[in-house]
Amino acid sequence: MIVFGALLVLLAVFGAPLFTVIAASAMLGYQREGIDLMAISIEMLGLAEMPFLSAIPLFTFAGYLLSASQAPKRLVRLTGALLGWMPGGLALVALAACAFFTAFTGASGVTIIALGAILYPALQHDGYPARFNLGLVTTSGSLGLLFAPSLPLILYGVIAEVSIDDLFRAGILPGMLMLVMLAGWSLWVNRANRKPLGDFSMREVGAALRESAWELPLPFVVLGGIYSGFFAVSEAAAVTAAYVLLVEVAILREITWRELPRIMRESMLLVGGILIILGVSLASTNYMIDADIPQRLLAFISDLVTSQATFLILLLVFLLILGAILDIFSAIVLVVPLVLPIAAQYGVNEVHLGIVFLAAMQLGYLTPPVGLNLFIASYRFNKPIMEVYRATLPFLLILAASVVIITFWPKLSLWLLAN
Amino acid sequence: MTENSPPLTADELRAPPGRLERLGTALENALLVLLLGAMMCLAVGQIAMRMFFQSGLIWADELLKVMVLWIALIASVAASRNQRHLRIDILSHFLPARIARLPGVIVSAFASLVCAIIAWHSWRYVSLTLEFNDTVLLDTPAWMVQGILPVACVLMSYHFAVDCIRNLAALVRDRQGAQVPQ
Repeated sequence: MIVFGALLVLLAVFGAPLFTVIAASAMLGYQREGIDLMAISIEMLGLAEMPFLSAIPLFTFAGYLLSASQAPKRLVRLTGALLGWMPGGLALVALAACAFFTAFTGASGVTIIALGAILYPALQHDGYPARFNLGLVTTSGSLGLLFAPSLPLILYGVIAEVSIDDLFRAGILPGMLMLVMLAGWSLWVNRANRKPLGDFSMREVGAALRESAWELPLPFVVLGGIYSGFFAVSEAAAVTAAYVLLVEVAILREITWRELPRIMRESMLLVGGILIILGVSLASTNYMIDADIPQRLLAFISDLVTSQATFLILLLVFLLILGAILDIFSAIVLVVPLVLPIAAQYGVNEVHLGIVFLAAMQLGYLTPPVGLNLFIASYRFNKPIMEVYRATLPFLLILAASVVIITFWPKLSLWLLAN
Repeated sequence: MTENSPPLTADELRAPPGRLERLGTALENALLVLLLGAMMCLAVGQIAMRMFFQSGLIWADELLKVMVLWIALIASVAASRNQRHLRIDILSHFLPARIARLPGVIVSAFASLVCAIIAWHSWRYVSLTLEFNDTVLLDTPAWMVQGILPVACVLMSYHFAVDCIRNLAALVRDRQGAQVPQ
């Protein structure tokens, strides 16, 4: 058994698709317990019984569609008109625009490609230091992770069976904290060159608003609909996808009908990758629960760890390592069912746990050696990977500090839930 | 999520599977477009009915969930074709392409085998539901919904096998290239 386990780990490290590794481990487990292997297909078909799951393909599609249109450009212009008068304006614009865009596109790396392509040259042009720009754009690519309606939040809600509405509320303040800390640091670094992007002009705000008139209702309808309880998250996703399709393809015609199948396929490649892992992990999780693995893990940990604080430290270290190896989606699907019962024993609120989990995994996007954002930025801006590592490091440290605060200050996540 | 497949050479693109590849890709795209479109229409229609007529179709929610299953599996087949499955991506970034070929062969062979095993067992399961005349979604026979699982697994197994053979061929070619310096 141990030999097989080691072999599977080796295969995973050498790049076997994760879902095949998980499926193989589940099948080995079933085999050992004498359960018919048909069970794995029954579990996988359980994908068709999970609530709210349709939100994932629909939001992902909407996000890819938005990033293929001119919407990123309009978003940057609007944010610039609203925030550009502040000192260090463009850096703040970059942070705010990226956070907003990532929330809607699900932290799949499209932000760096869609917005970075506009912001990076603009920052350069405005005289910000090259290394700062690279770090800023790379970091911003996963910044909106904690804001509704990001995919990881939805996925956590589905897996942990926690109210997705609650998660959407809980993410707001911790997400703002990250933004504020990064903004503060950006201003500090550029204290010699804190020039505003331009004077505040009502005319420019008006023009930018008019230009984005078609997209403006989107956040209000989606977020308003979800927060007020009018839409379930899957309904909000359907409305978003249909609306974005209508606006970008039929009204603004920035994307032709001909391009549509390619964009759909591209977005569904990510969705297929996430959902098939979810499918096979339904089988492996079930096996692990049958085999009492969470209980055994808890027994093992409770000997070592007695207080909630120590547990949280241990959790953070674990998530940091996990984030450096696994992408956020696989990590949620695989690890949340194991961590959830243990965290409950230490009195960690399950909504707060979700925020901590995602915030810590966000660091994984930027952690060498395999952080996804690092590679996308290196590829997109044609910079050696080592340079991207160095440029991103200070941002990574700031974010790490914010994750520590978020972890040990549960009130921050739970504040908006109580009211 | 990252594209880590080495770019295909012109030869490989013109190889016999070329036409099959194009046909398969087109079929996947068509199905994905249809399913996504139907999903949007159904969900939006459902909201409209709730808002204006205070009613809705009882089976709509279940049908949406089935569509998610189908999208998941078809997209997963597409992801195997384009080598876009989520994986731990440590070595591919650091190993030179030539050295990465051997693990590539082993890993694809393993993936192909696992998919084949799942395909076999889901085939067994589906034929069982066929035998018992299980139904889902009002009176739809269950096999029509569940049949996608063995089909998708067979296709994925095929794609991984093709990938394995490609890597193997490239490995052999590298060898020969190394022995016969030009």
